[in-house]
Amino acid sequence: MQFASTIRSPYHRGRNAKVIIDTLPNGFSSILPDDLSAHNIPSLFSEGIPIFASQQISYRGEALGLIIGPDPGICDELAALARVECDEEEPEHEWESFSSSQIVFHYGAEHGDLDAMFAAASTQLKEVYRNGIFDHHYSEPMGALARWDKTTLSIHCATQWPDDLRRRLAGALAISESNIVVHPTEMGRALDGRLWFPSLVAAQAAVASRISGKPVRILYTREEDFLHTTKQARSAINIRSGSDEQGRLLALDIVILINLGAYNPLAPEIVYQAVSAITGIYSCPAIRIEAYAIRSNTIPLGAMGSVGATHAFFAIEAHMNNLAQRYSKHPAEIKALNMLKKGQSIFGAPDLSGDIPFNRIHKELEQISDYPRKYASYELVKKRDPGCREGIVRGIALTLGYQTGRSFSECSGMNLYSVEATLDRELRLLIKTQATIGSESLKAMWRKTAAEILSIHEDHVHFLLPENTHSLPSGPMTLSRGSSLIHALIEKTCRNIQKKRFRESLPISATARTRPSKAKTNPEALFLGAQLLDSASWCGTAVEVEIDALTGKPIPLAVWMVIDAGRIVNVQIALASLRASALSALAFCTANDFDPSESGRKDYIADAGMRIRQLPKIEIEFIEPDRNGAAKGIGELPFITIPAAFYSALTQALGLDPRQLPLKGGEILRLLEGA
Amino acid sequence: MIIDVSVNGIQRHLKSRNGDRLVDVLKKELGLSSLTADCLQGRCGKCLIFMDGRIVHSCLIPAFKARGSSIVTFEGIAKKPEVMDIEKAFQLTQTQPCSFCHTAKIMTIFDLLSRVPLPNEDDIVEALDMVPCPCSDPIGLIQAVKLAAELRNKRKFNREA
Repeated sequence: MQFASTIRSPYHRGRNAKVIIDTLPNGFSSILPDDLSAHNIPSLFSEGIPIFASQQISYRGEALGLIIGPDPGICDELAALARVECDEEEPEHEWESFSSSQIVFHYGAEHGDLDAMFAAASTQLKEVYRNGIFDHHYSEPMGALARWDKTTLSIHCATQWPDDLRRRLAGALAISESNIVVHPTEMGRALDGRLWFPSLVAAQAAVASRISGKPVRILYTREEDFLHTTKQARSAINIRSGSDEQGRLLALDIVILINLGAYNPLAPEIVYQAVSAITGIYSCPAIRIEAYAIRSNTIPLGAMGSVGATHAFFAIEAHMNNLAQRYSKHPAEIKALNMLKKGQSIFGAPDLSGDIPFNRIHKELEQISDYPRKYASYELVKKRDPGCREGIVRGIALTLGYQTGRSFSECSGMNLYSVEATLDRELRLLIKTQATIGSESLKAMWRKTAAEILSIHEDHVHFLLPENTHSLPSGPMTLSRGSSLIHALIEKTCRNIQKKRFRESLPISATARTRPSKAKTNPEALFLGAQLLDSASWCGTAVEVEIDALTGKPIPLAVWMVIDAGRIVNVQIALASLRASALSALAFCTANDFDPSESGRKDYIADAGMRIRQLPKIEIEFIEPDRNGAAKGIGELPFITIPAAFYSALTQALGLDPRQLPLKGGEILRLLEGA
Repeated sequence: MIIDVSVNGIQRHLKSRNGDRLVDVLKKELGLSSLTADCLQGRCGKCLIFMDGRIVHSCLIPAFKARGSSIVTFEGIAKKPEVMDIEKAFQLTQTQPCSFCHTAKIMTIFDLLSRVPLPNEDDIVEALDMVPCPCSDPIGLIQAVKLAAELRNKRKFNREA
């Protein structure tokens, strides 16, 4: 086997890159863009992402080539010694005031008479909310192993989306999809960090393997992974609202800017998710939304946890809290006043067929978190001591959010999932799916469901990769998006087998797949309406925060969550998954932001996210988890609701509104000194 | 250079270059798959080993420093009944660490329980903080360690914790 190390660009932006490599020791060789053209290998993904950059360098650290050889340590040293020349250009780091050439994707929608409603409004509020870049902190750095066997390419890679990996590789290497076998390897919690980037690493390994004629392994170091792979996107959300004397929203004018760095093939999905979430759960007669995915010369940025929804929920919830302040009302009062109600709709989408379970969740949440008493006392402290000079600085806030588990960009196959199950003569159930099964607990849950339906022993349920991968397409396995759909499909196939079981002879097979939606013609219909919200999982979250008087660091003291998500298949597994996600969501609120400068990069590596030592109290309750009906996804709920609640608690504690996340101790101290 | 060292009770002569980290030498020369050279900063804990009885990050130790020492890796303790107790506790509490940090978490829990047979929550958090992989539920992990201590004490002393 050959090991490969990546030669990276030291420039943020440039043209006509040339890699100069001195004589390599015996057994070592280089793979450069010229070698690809010499072997007639196309070098681009369909979105124009190069396997190795040559004509255009788009970010510092972009892969320009590989050094391959039998010793990984020597490969690293040789790759670091490679010199790069190019016609350097001024990098485009600015993205909040962008040029038209930087727009990757744009979506705009308008409903109602915005000008008339703003004219009728007694109060107008205009604010910008910013989100920083955040690493996924997944369990192992990115890597891939490629091996050619005559015409067949085998790829071992930890990816959330094997189907997409095969599709991309087939396009990029101009070979048939049937000649590519993807072996998804162990992944741990990926948090959307492994949606498309593994395809790029796999393509680099595949090209090197094809040219060298040997299996090639690329495995990034953690530092390489931190600095050069995809992260959660940066965003700036501009909200202008108009409301009447009571605080009822009349008009919302929203501009969403999402910085997706150098490349992101999932730009439409991220934009759609943000647009879908930005109106939150509030009713407004006139809305205009303009959303842009912007390209800049920084590392590729993209999804995390809830794709684009975290940013949007944080912005709208913070805005509603500020609106409450403006009216000197309690945030819950303003939120309840503007909450969507049965029969109402936004964007002309289908009417909401039932009420949002706000009251029930809110009541339960208030009870377990002691919210009213704490909120009132922290408000009192803030009024007595506005500059927080006396030391104890605390805040508490609650927020309501939802997870739909729905992807909107149908074209990329994000909503296509399928499962094939066969009950053989030995009463073994073989479940075939291409979906990457990230955790043993998920497998255990599915195994239990299948065994219960078919009345067989759990040890008799086995998961396999399908031999003919074409027949069973699969969307990505994100936090709970894919897993809840796969669970439903496993249930469906097992019930079908059970129906036939005593009428037909074994083995019996059944296949189930999700149906593509009819959303293409009217995307607004999916954004908010009965179809979306009626099938959503709901979550109320309260977060209590204290500011460390010495360092200014925000310390989360407690998180309470009340979840209404229909039937919970396994409460213990659900609790474990939610608590782990809650810790990651809290880490996002306080972590370092990625700064492309040299010192910023060092700071970024030094930050390792939330530690168990800083673990706050986490209390989670489910509403009627034993009820009948479909199981819904819940894994994204902490990412949707916790940042919004954390931020609102922080603003209460500080008496200031920094309008950005994450927030570090130093920044908070500066804000307090300036106050 | 050649480094003479005892690894999991067997005397070894390991080849090393100047500046090599102990974790890299152990992996390269002995193919110890339980070790991962991940963060290389002593943060992730995936390279934990026992060196002369103390638990240390092998990514922070230059290989030459290990000369004459006694090293025990996960492979050296894997079959011990104490490790079976920990595995059983993971299973019973449905807390399954990912395959990247599984061995490291067992090493740190093994170390804790051999020092403190009845650890309190602070002891447990202190130990688990050595392996901050975000894969598993932190509260579940704390419960698993408590249960592992119970199982260990029950097996060793035939009594409840």
